[in-house]
Amino acid sequence: MKTLEEFKEFYQRELLPDITELEQQRKTTVSRVISVIIPLILITLAAVIFLPGDAKQFALFGGIGLVVVVFIGLTRQFVNDFKERVIRKIILFFDKGFRYRKEDYIPQAIFNSSTIFRKQPDAYSGEDRVTGIIGVTQIDFSEVKAQTVTRDSKGRKHYSTFFKGLFFIADFNKDFHTTTYVLPDTAERLFGGFGSFFQKRNMSRPDLVKLEDPEFEKLFVVYGEDQVESRYILSTSLMHRIVEYQKKTGRDLSISFRHSKMYVAIPYTKNLLEPKLFTTLLNFKVIQTYYDDLHLFLGIVEDLNLNTRIWSKQ
Amino acid sequence: MLAVIIILAVVVLMVVVMYNSLIGKKNQVDNAFASIDVMLKKRYDLIPNLVSAVKTYMQHEKSVLTEITELRSKAMQSGLSDDEKIQLDNKISRALGGIMVAVENYPQLKANENFMHLQASLNEIEEQISAARRSYNASVTDYNNAIEMFPTNIFASMMGYKRKTLFEITEAERKNVDVNALFNS
Repeated sequence: MKTLEEFKEFYQRELLPDITELEQQRKTTVSRVISVIIPLILITLAAVIFLPGDAKQFALFGGIGLVVVVFIGLTRQFVNDFKERVIRKIILFFDKGFRYRKEDYIPQAIFNSSTIFRKQPDAYSGEDRVTGIIGVTQIDFSEVKAQTVTRDSKGRKHYSTFFKGLFFIADFNKDFHTTTYVLPDTAERLFGGFGSFFQKRNMSRPDLVKLEDPEFEKLFVVYGEDQVESRYILSTSLMHRIVEYQKKTGRDLSISFRHSKMYVAIPYTKNLLEPKLFTTLLNFKVIQTYYDDLHLFLGIVEDLNLNTRIWSKQ
Repeated sequence: MLAVIIILAVVVLMVVVMYNSLIGKKNQVDNAFASIDVMLKKRYDLIPNLVSAVKTYMQHEKSVLTEITELRSKAMQSGLSDDEKIQLDNKISRALGGIMVAVENYPQLKANENFMHLQASLNEIEEQISAARRSYNASVTDYNNAIEMFPTNIFASMMGYKRKTLFEITEAERKNVDVNALFNS
């Protein structure tokens, strides 16, 4: 895995010329946005204040919608250029063999087949898909947003997001045939030891698998279709590595082991690998966040030791 | 009158639930032990292949190879007690470990594709055996907890259930494998 030192050098050598150009583009984009959006907001406000009754609401929603659409339209070129010229380069910096498609994402069918989430999304989208091979381990990840849609009595749609963040798939280093889930242990955090009483009775998941590692057990709850196979997958060292990785990300990981693959969902509220319009690009710290994020994601393979192939699976 | 019937019904129900859960836990332990057995058999099946793969190369370690073959045929006999099975398994683990260390002296053998495949299969089975043992220990813990905790302990003593022991790494396994002693024996 590439180090920060290597990245610094790469930044100076390869990225800086592009970033300098993009910074110009960012500035023009910002001034364009300000000159169009601010009048739009003022008009909307005026309409909301002066229009009577029902028209107020109409003006408010219409105005907000318009602002969003115009904003996306004005910034699209800059975002696309940034991803092509900076994000793509950083990804290829990690490994020349990686493939990056900014508009592609993990297909919904694959997301569903991981069965990490019990709900199936009604609305599903994503971006920034990266595929490739690290050592001998195949990886595939992207940003993903999964939502359910409900309608209220007036027929209006309401979206509720049950997952937004990074969805990561890696080929697992052992063969197995059943499904095992490693999920955040919310019940035990809320109810302490009593939590496992509810977990045992969770009808929508397979049997509870109690593991020996107390630190792992505190953070996660494990369900598996086969007690022995779940432990075959979650060796003592893998449990430890998952705990360490969870600490490194500082986020609640949800993992499923299925079809001899490992599916990992890491929730993020921020939009990943996206440029910030109102912050200068000419700052190494800003660009470093992209390196840090990618380093963390690609690190799954090394951190969980997925390249060790001493078992019969090659 | 009605109250008495309700209380009685609740008590009976509780007794049934506790009784059944104890039986369930005991069977779970047996089941977990059986799954260790299955994994061990899988390992025994690999031994003849391993022996035939290495014997052309290992002229000096013939005695280990005969030893492991003998151990295997003993282990395949039916009617062994659980303790005997565990004992034999420990011996086989030690002998296998010895062979794997001795292989280091034969670079040609190490590079042999057939052997590499066998080694991967053995590693896999080792890992599966360890998973099965951990699974067994988890069900024994569950069972032991039920036997010692109130109120299920009352039934357990009436049913004559006793604590079961956990799988532990034996003294022999904790020590590093002494290859010399193994080959000289």
